[in-house]
Amino acid sequence: MLVGTDDPQRLAVGAPEMRALDTEALELPGVVFLQALFEIESGAMCEMLPPALHPTLPPVAGIVAYDVPESPWGAFRIAQLRVQCRSGLRPRALLVAAVVDVPEVGAALAQRFGFRVAAGEVRLERAYDETRIEVATGGADALAGSLRGPMRIGESDTQFVSCMHPAQTPRGYRLVQVDTRHTVHRVERARFEVEAFDGAAWGEARIQPTLGLPGVVGLADLTLDPIRFLCRPDVMAFEGSESVDP
Amino acid sequence: MKFGLFHELATPRPFTPEVEAKVVHNALEQVRVADEVGFDTVWAVEHHFLEGYSHSSAPEVFLTACATQTERIRIGHGAVVCVREMNHPIRVAERAAMLDIISNGRLEFGTARSSTWTELGGFEADPDRTKQDWDEYVRAIPGMWTQERFSWKGNCFSMPERAVLPKPLQQPHPPMWVTVTSPGTELDAADRGLGCLGVSTGGVADQERRTKEYHRRIQLCDPIGQVNDRVATLNFMYCHEDLKTAANRGMSFLGLFGLLNSHLLFTREAYPTTAYQSLGGLSAPPSSKSGGNPGAEYGVPEGVCIGDPPAIIEAIKRWESVGVDQINFLVNACETLPQEQVLESLRFFAREVMPAFQEDAA
Repeated sequence: MLVGTDDPQRLAVGAPEMRALDTEALELPGVVFLQALFEIESGAMCEMLPPALHPTLPPVAGIVAYDVPESPWGAFRIAQLRVQCRSGLRPRALLVAAVVDVPEVGAALAQRFGFRVAAGEVRLERAYDETRIEVATGGADALAGSLRGPMRIGESDTQFVSCMHPAQTPRGYRLVQVDTRHTVHRVERARFEVEAFDGAAWGEARIQPTLGLPGVVGLADLTLDPIRFLCRPDVMAFEGSESVDP
Repeated sequence: MKFGLFHELATPRPFTPEVEAKVVHNALEQVRVADEVGFDTVWAVEHHFLEGYSHSSAPEVFLTACATQTERIRIGHGAVVCVREMNHPIRVAERAAMLDIISNGRLEFGTARSSTWTELGGFEADPDRTKQDWDEYVRAIPGMWTQERFSWKGNCFSMPERAVLPKPLQQPHPPMWVTVTSPGTELDAADRGLGCLGVSTGGVADQERRTKEYHRRIQLCDPIGQVNDRVATLNFMYCHEDLKTAANRGMSFLGLFGLLNSHLLFTREAYPTTAYQSLGGLSAPPSSKSGGNPGAEYGVPEGVCIGDPPAIIEAIKRWESVGVDQINFLVNACETLPQEQVLESLRFFAREVMPAFQEDAA
């Protein structure tokens, strides 16, 4: 079988520091969400993942973005780049990086949920015929793309997976499992067309899109649940999973 | 209760020609032994691009070899992917009829629509319409087999009047099945008079609920051909006189098979659609902690046929009690177990377990 072969310490460099694990849930009502996956070059599919995780076949990465109108820090936008993967038998994603347009929010998300955050611009523009997303960080255009030809689908038709965030925690360097709940009020599926993508701007130059998959845009109440599980990055999840509860 | 082998042709890396050939020839030897010792059916799946998990992309060829190397075991073509981009319905009917002839009327014909983006995406198939394609195929194919000349005007395909040849040996046609992964497919099976071919290893309670509804509903069906009202489930089997040895060996290939399954990109993950509501093999597995499960102390999940003969007999009786007619077994994966251990297990199962389920055993 295929398993991640990346040096687990590579992801520790610049990993955010979480001072506590007893995080409260973060409720973000009325967010516009966008989730768009794309198949990627398979050459480095194992090298991009630590031994705790293993790849999907075909390898897939994805953009998850939120336009948040209301939060403890006010309105903000965030875009994440993730690699879809497996932790044991479970579907998961590995967070590569997130770009947030309000630095205060980025610091809070890093501290509470282990988001690896860079400051930048996130544009999410909805129209009846398409939704455009543009992400810029560090002076580079990280992503430009659009979801075209929206078609309404059922509120339960989209699969959201928990994301593993490499972070320094009170228990040491771990992959922190961040579970999200989406109470979806409306969702549309659309063709995802990647116009520009710069993996290096996200911190992972080996991610090269090869095929855009249908994405979704919708409206939901989003909850980031309290942290429940951690995982050692250097061994498979069966061995390295830890419950946050004592 | 009937027993079958279920071949995925899971293959270890590296995928050299020698390794792939060894997997296929070992599987054929298992089929010959299964035929000798009294197993009822051998099934071979159709999968594409599923690295390691299944290299069974041309099951009709593999099953033709099975048919010519055996005398009595039934030949389960299960399941043929009934999606326009992958198999044309006329070719499906022709190949199946020929296989029925070559096997002297031993064909069991399974139908499916594929559950992974790995496969559907590879053929650029549209996940939104696979269920529609499947439904049209299963209505059309019995007509191709039973009518001297056949014509069709449908949504997925059309054909002017032609003789689809040859016709199958079994009359009116081979028993038809549909694989059941997604919730509700057992109801589709019942409504059309199709057998229920379970291909995911769920728990007994879930099977009981689905089987009960299936049996109630098939009484009212509008059949697409000859009714097949049997229910088959998929299981893992390793049988050894020592429970601990059986658990160690059996769980080794069960665990690896689960991990290989987890690599697959299920359609629900990649393609948001109402047409796929199940995460397939990534759904929660059955627990090993249920009471009365003799293998639990060695981590054998509830209802899994890995153990000594008493443990396996107990597990099978649980499946039998909820209305299952046939259990199909995966007996190895990726050559995790040496071939001689697999063959020993098959022979031991036939000698020590099968007699408890012969029709006059009660």
